[in-house]
Amino acid sequence: MWQATFTKLGQTLLVLLLVSVASFSFLKLAPGDPVTIMLGSDYSKASYDQLTQELGLDQPVIVQYGHWLANFVQGDWGTSYITNQNIFELAVFQALPVTLTLAAFSLLIALVIGIPTGVMAALYRNSWVDVLATTLAIGGNAFPSFYLGIILIWVFGVGLGWFPTLGFVAPWDDFWQGMWHLALPAITLGAWYVGLIARITRSSLLEVMGQPYILAAKARGEPGWRVVWVHGMRNVLMPLVTVIGLQLGGMLRGAVMTEVVFSLPGLGMMITSAVLNREYIVIQAGIMLTGVLFVVLNLMVDQTYQFLDPRLRRRK
Amino acid sequence: MNQVSVLAQNIPVESSAEAPLLEVRDFSLRRKKATVLDRITLSLNPGETLGLIGESGAGKSTLAMALIGLLRAPEVEIEGSLRFRGTELTALKEADFRRLRGNKIGLIFQDATAALNPCFTVGKQIAEPLRRHLGLSASACRARAVELMQSVGIPEPRLRLDAYPHELSGGMQQRVMIAIALACNPELLLADEPTSALDVTIQAQIMELILDRVRALNSSAIFVLHDLALGAQVCDRIAVMYAGQIVEEGPSECVLNAPLHPYTQGLKSCVVELGMPTLTPIPGQIPPLDAMPNGCRFAPRCPKAQAICGEQRPEAHTRDERQVACWFID
Ligand SMILES: Nc1ncnc2c1ncn2[C@@H]1O[C@H](COP(=O)(O)OP(=O)(O)O)[C@@H](O)[C@H]1O
Ligand code: SF4
Ligand SMILES: [Mg+2]
Repeated sequence: MWQATFTKLGQTLLVLLLVSVASFSFLKLAPGDPVTIMLGSDYSKASYDQLTQELGLDQPVIVQYGHWLANFVQGDWGTSYITNQNIFELAVFQALPVTLTLAAFSLLIALVIGIPTGVMAALYRNSWVDVLATTLAIGGNAFPSFYLGIILIWVFGVGLGWFPTLGFVAPWDDFWQGMWHLALPAITLGAWYVGLIARITRSSLLEVMGQPYILAAKARGEPGWRVVWVHGMRNVLMPLVTVIGLQLGGMLRGAVMTEVVFSLPGLGMMITSAVLNREYIVIQAGIMLTGVLFVVLNLMVDQTYQFLDPRLRRRK
Repeated sequence: MNQVSVLAQNIPVESSAEAPLLEVRDFSLRRKKATVLDRITLSLNPGETLGLIGESGAGKSTLAMALIGLLRAPEVEIEGSLRFRGTELTALKEADFRRLRGNKIGLIFQDATAALNPCFTVGKQIAEPLRRHLGLSASACRARAVELMQSVGIPEPRLRLDAYPHELSGGMQQRVMIAIALACNPELLLADEPTSALDVTIQAQIMELILDRVRALNSSAIFVLHDLALGAQVCDRIAVMYAGQIVEEGPSECVLNAPLHPYTQGLKSCVVELGMPTLTPIPGQIPPLDAMPNGCRFAPRCPKAQAICGEQRPEAHTRDERQVACWFID
């Protein structure tokens, strides 16, 4: 058990190290000289050398990396050339909560729709319910999510005027306004997940319902709904969490796309506009933060899995 | 045993001493046109134990599952009658049948490891029938679960209550299974090869435990076994099944010592010769369900088969206390 934890911890650190090297080299490899960019078009040789020295760019690369990593860990991520904003604040306090809210809300929608659909498809397999659910699942997966987003904006935002088409209101400031603004983006991002969750629920439940312990629950006189939703679904949770974990990358990618389509000021939007403005240090921060987020979410999924499966829990 | 008698008082006694607890009459079960059980007839008195003996695939588990109502599905066709305490089970509504399951009829599965839900503690699983059928409160359930675990020989039941199935050995898991099946003092216990998944060293011990508990509760029991000698030793009566039919049924000593049906004779000689049971004691195997012979289903393997055996199905004769389905009884 402890060995597994240490192995996991080691892996995590290694991944974070790789992410940091990747985003550090990104800045090094990026076209353009950061000193020139910072000084603008008119500068003297003296001021150029001074800034180079101030930025530590005259040092060996490995030292530069060490400096950069130390600064990063301390939350000293620099200042945006364009908005003069503290990048740490921009990324962690402004963009990250938006992305997390969007992802969580989408996942919630996907679970609320996907699980019952999958259960119905499994219970009435090969009936029209199953066919419909499977079609929706495959459709939801195949349909490009930015396209769905545009259709939703078009129909429910512009056409019917039921929902706002862009912008973000934090649900913790104004819950209903927040939900209202998040509805279309969350449906867009969630739609892609619904099919996956429905499919996994269906196939896992079919497998679980064939297990002797389900028959044993029935033999104890448990009613049908409890057999499915308690004895069956409790065992479906584990594969479900596994798949959610495996698709985290897809979720983050989808979030970037959705944020751009709906102009939500999240991490995706931050990175995209930084790319357009060639603000390399913002891009770098975005890559680092996304990497850390991915690793942390993965650890959370792992912990959830350990918690859900009694066979993996430590004996008291 | 005192906790058992306290609970026994709550159970209304509907069956009089003479009436059989269970009466199966001409019961047939078909799956996709294949006759898995063919005109099964047997009866069981209160307190009596019956051994269902036969090779793998004979339909023993199917009969046990049908008796506890777990084969009530559109794709399973049923004919004939199953009477339990005078109630016709085949006509029972699902909600009413559910009240019998785990309550008046208990079932012990062959493989306890697979039959216990890995995600729930054993205490929870033992408590389920107590709560559902006896309506005990959560604390009463726990107290009763501890008593039950004690009665099936689980040491330190209070500690084991919150254990998950994987934390117990196979033998302990089967004891939990037994505790669950007996939780509500069933009048009929079905045990489907209750020891065949266990280590040989504890098989006799677990069998003895089940018998002890059945006697203590004065329940009737049907043991599914594939060892004729063990069945005769453990049960009052024996029913030998072959290819979905009961070929011979009667008191244990008679069936074991003086088998009338050629199939039973084959089972017995194998036991005597080898000193241990084997899965296919007689050359050949049960024909597939979709290619059953028209006449006697045993004819292709029977050393005594005559022309008529291949043409006409032998009806069950009653001889003394026995029924035998064979054209040529010595
Ligand atoms: N779920 C099922 N679907 C179709 N056929 C089955 C099913 N379960 C059992 N059978 C068939 O029914 C017959 C009897 O099986 P079973 O009752 O398990 O025999 P036994 O318990 O005596 O070994 C076998 O031919 C088996 O193939
Ligand atoms: S009826 Fe014929 S084939 Fe069948 S068991 Fe008797 S002798 Fe053998
Ligand atoms: Mg069987």
